[in-house]
Amino acid sequence: MGKKRVGALEKVDADLPNLQYKIRRDPKSYSEDFLNQYGQYQSQRDIFLASPTTATSTGIVSFRDLIDFVAHVADCFPEDTASFPSDLKTILTLHHASLESELREKIVGSLVLLRRKEIIDSAELLNTLFPILVATPSKTLRALLFQKILSDLRTSNSKSVNHRLNKTIQTALFNLLTSDRASAKGIWAVKITRELWKRQIWTDAKAVEIMKEAALADNEKVIGGGVRFFLGGDKEREELEDESSDEEAGIDIGKLKHQAGINKKSRKTKKSLEEAVKKVKKTEKKKNQPHPLNFSALHLLHDPQGFADTLFSKHLQNSKSKLNLEQKLLVLQLVSRLVGLHKLTVISLYSYFIKYLTPRQPSVTTFLACLAQATHSLVPPDALEPLVQKIANEFVSEASASEVASAGLNAIREICVRQPLAMNETLLQDLVMYRKSKDKGTVMAAKGLLSLYREVGADLLKKRDRGKTATMGLKSGNIKERRFGEEEVGGIEGLELLEEWKAEERKRKRAEKGLPELGSDESDEDEDGDEEETKGWENWDAESDASSDSGGWINVESDAEIEISDSEDEKPAVKKAKLDPLATKSKPESETPGNDEEKENADKDKAREQKISKLATTKILTPADLAKLQELRLQASVSKAMGKSNSKSQSQRLKELADRHADDPLTAEQIEGLSKLRKSTREEKIALAREGKGERGEHKSTQALRRQKKDAEGKSTTNKEKSRKKNFMMTLGKAKFKQKRSLTQTRRVLKGHIERSKRGGKRGNVGM
Amino acid sequence: MGSSARKKKEKKKDFQKTKLKVGKTKAKPDNFTDTSFKAKSIVVNQQSLATSAPSSSSQFAHYLSLASSSRSDTQRRDALSYLTSQLSSAPVNRPLPLPTSILLPKLLPLILDGSSSVRTQLLKFLRLLPASDIGDHAESALLYARAGMTHLAAEIRTDALAILEWLLEVAKEDVVSCPGGWVKTLKSFTSMMGWASSSGSTKWTSASKASFGKAGKAFPRQLLVLAQFLKAGLMESEDIREMKIGGALFPLVNMERHMIPTRSNAFAHLNLFGSSRDEEGEMYIDREDRQRVFQMLFQPAVEVGMANAKKEGGEAGRAAAVLAKVLNEGMADYSDVDDTQ
Repeated sequence: MGKKRVGALEKVDADLPNLQYKIRRDPKSYSEDFLNQYGQYQSQRDIFLASPTTATSTGIVSFRDLIDFVAHVADCFPEDTASFPSDLKTILTLHHASLESELREKIVGSLVLLRRKEIIDSAELLNTLFPILVATPSKTLRALLFQKILSDLRTSNSKSVNHRLNKTIQTALFNLLTSDRASAKGIWAVKITRELWKRQIWTDAKAVEIMKEAALADNEKVIGGGVRFFLGGDKEREELEDESSDEEAGIDIGKLKHQAGINKKSRKTKKSLEEAVKKVKKTEKKKNQPHPLNFSALHLLHDPQGFADTLFSKHLQNSKSKLNLEQKLLVLQLVSRLVGLHKLTVISLYSYFIKYLTPRQPSVTTFLACLAQATHSLVPPDALEPLVQKIANEFVSEASASEVASAGLNAIREICVRQPLAMNETLLQDLVMYRKSKDKGTVMAAKGLLSLYREVGADLLKKRDRGKTATMGLKSGNIKERRFGEEEVGGIEGLELLEEWKAEERKRKRAEKGLPELGSDESDEDEDGDEEETKGWENWDAESDASSDSGGWINVESDAEIEISDSEDEKPAVKKAKLDPLATKSKPESETPGNDEEKENADKDKAREQKISKLATTKILTPADLAKLQELRLQASVSKAMGKSNSKSQSQRLKELADRHADDPLTAEQIEGLSKLRKSTREEKIALAREGKGERGEHKSTQALRRQKKDAEGKSTTNKEKSRKKNFMMTLGKAKFKQKRSLTQTRRVLKGHIERSKRGGKRGNVGM
Repeated sequence: MGSSARKKKEKKKDFQKTKLKVGKTKAKPDNFTDTSFKAKSIVVNQQSLATSAPSSSSQFAHYLSLASSSRSDTQRRDALSYLTSQLSSAPVNRPLPLPTSILLPKLLPLILDGSSSVRTQLLKFLRLLPASDIGDHAESALLYARAGMTHLAAEIRTDALAILEWLLEVAKEDVVSCPGGWVKTLKSFTSMMGWASSSGSTKWTSASKASFGKAGKAFPRQLLVLAQFLKAGLMESEDIREMKIGGALFPLVNMERHMIPTRSNAFAHLNLFGSSRDEEGEMYIDREDRQRVFQMLFQPAVEVGMANAKKEGGEAGRAAAVLAKVLNEGMADYSDVDDTQ
């Protein structure tokens, strides 16, 4: 026995992987072998350290292999290898520039391995790797280190957020950026932060702070990285999330189960099915979990005003800044987004725009979009008026090209959506005249401006341009000019949808009970409301449901609501009586009081607006309500995206327009409108041609593609396809016989064919 | 008309194509000029046609680089043998073609060379180098010797022992007193002979499963080299003893110590400029220091191993006896030194 063992061991000699395997299984027995190898490692290390540049790893066993070996078994002999990690670290930090690339990669890999074996901790590893990442001139090493650092940060944050580690790394990155603002090293801080932000590992204000410092750096690359992060980082994050959720949803359990039932039963298939079920359950669980709060980077900024001010003064206003036009545009976009989103006041920004507002300026549409983006309701109209005037003078004239005119008009409209007071009467009336132009883009832009001012400032328009509703509103005093700084009373988004839905539900229930649909009976409503509410709370909290006083409390609540709704019902009716007779004439039956559904559109809208505040202020929304609200909101946004035109009032549309600007950036394309100022790139042309044609992996006939699609869906072939594919020899007999048929036989066949077609096929579908 | 047809023909003649034929040289054009010439002698301006071969020193450098960096075993060996013959054939007092400080760093890595012929040739070459030059390079030579002693391949281990023997012959004092020369070398001895024990774990079994060490024939040799090494480290060298005894220059005591040092970097043990050293890498200049460290770290292991070897008898037993003698003599005065301190 013993002899045999020794014989086997002799093979160990030069075979490190074998020895490694044996040591892992039985560390104690092989400790001497390990010590020998470790001794060899030490002497090789000494040789290496004596002359790092000239040492070559020739010979049977290279230094690299020894390092690899020791790293793999280091956890078995913690006392003997206590100095090993620090050895590697010193070698790497001192000689990373002169090491040969393979050895260098091996050392990095070994350090990461030691981290995985928890011999060293993350902070130690990252503190070693990060300075090298910043300092090394080698591109491959940088790529390797970047990847290792990221993966280590991800793994150490995978189970739970490792706040301490994150904090130290974030501080290191922050210091890297702030210590030397002119150096390009900061780009690594930007890259790491952006990647971790994208993967939602860092979602806090500190990460945003790092990017803020990057955007305020002196190096062009770093500035670009920081600014791009604010402009596109959140979108990137959302896309990644969508992608990952798409991937997970791909498993079809029903199909798998079916296959498992049919195919040969083996342990493997069983296991794979179990795994799939587990995975699906996991994703289900994940779906039901509350959505993590993801504030966008722009919202997490501490001091947006200060940030916007310094960005503007440092990179844009400063004549010494070395940014080129493209980079300046990026910064400008960021500044204007900040201004628009947080309603900041950077007055000098608007005068900065003036010199760029000429049609000859490169990428002027982006400038226009930025200007519109930077406008909000708290910008003094005095600052905007010269700009609007300049745009009108430079862009919108009969002499200018139609694209230019439409871009100018669009820009003016976008500015005026945000600050209607920036327009004066003569200019507006002049601009509105362009709706008679010959170019479609210009016409549409001018019409957009017209419809905007019908809403927000009808008195600036000529009388004949005002339109019916605006004229009526002006007459009745309904439409008032908004003063500077005046704010609309806010509501909850989608609340009116909830209200509508509730009303419908109530109606449906009544119908179920057999009551008249339009029951204005108070007690009925009361009952229903009561029921609904208790139900809403039921799912939420069982304990509160059990308490007796909740029922009484709800009663009181719904009573109050009904009182208010009474008064509400009366009000619009009175108002309508005051209105001019045109409206009443058109729908005389709408006079029945207390009937919400049959009111005229404008009135309904108003009533709804009033109700909004009522519902939110008089009733506590149950969690069920909130869930429904979320759902309705989503539905509405989806239908909006699908392009279904709801019969919304104009004010709502307007509000939507204004809302869009709050969160999404305004792009140059929106300013350009229908016509394009620049030539479209090749990619755009291809995308345009591809649009609506679906995914086309390979070039096949349409028939083949259709067949492929059907196959993928598991559908069978049609009879026609079957006959086409039928073996030629099998068709021969019939074809031969056809020629020999007698007249009667032919007649019978034809008759049969007609009959069958009448019946609808051989089996027929009559009476199904 | 006739004349014009003739003229046309004539005109055409000028532009007629010559037919090319396979296997025949292209016909020469009419305006061909023969530029070939014959001459009795040619004088070429720029080219030098020195008849002498490359100088011996440049050839020496060339072979040195071949020996240190060639990929092929035979080429390395041949280059080394060339270098050896150059050195051995040179007259006694002629200086080396290249200084030792250049030769050694290039050739020492060959201690770990895979081919045994290269290693033996290397040893031959090293023995030709002047002994006085080796002392300064003992540290780097020891690095490779130690790496060889703990090497996986048994042959390399034995050859590394030969290198160490040579080092002990030419620069005994430097070998044991250079940084890391004492403790690290002893460590590699113990691990080579399988006497090392893991610092962390307590041993359950005394039965060693070491896959190398105790390599049959080589073991007595290892014992002998260890004995030599210990002798160099633990016994007082003759010149110091002479100096101690030497009352020749009576009024002057310890005169050597106050003179300008003859060796380079005399204050290396203070380690003024290098990175800090640990216990292993420390320089142990005094015999007492070495004795102390040896007693502390190695003596028990060495004695156990020695006793085992004695029991084996035969060649190993005899070698162990030599080792025991050295050990006894070397450590004889250690305890009283300890007492006096």
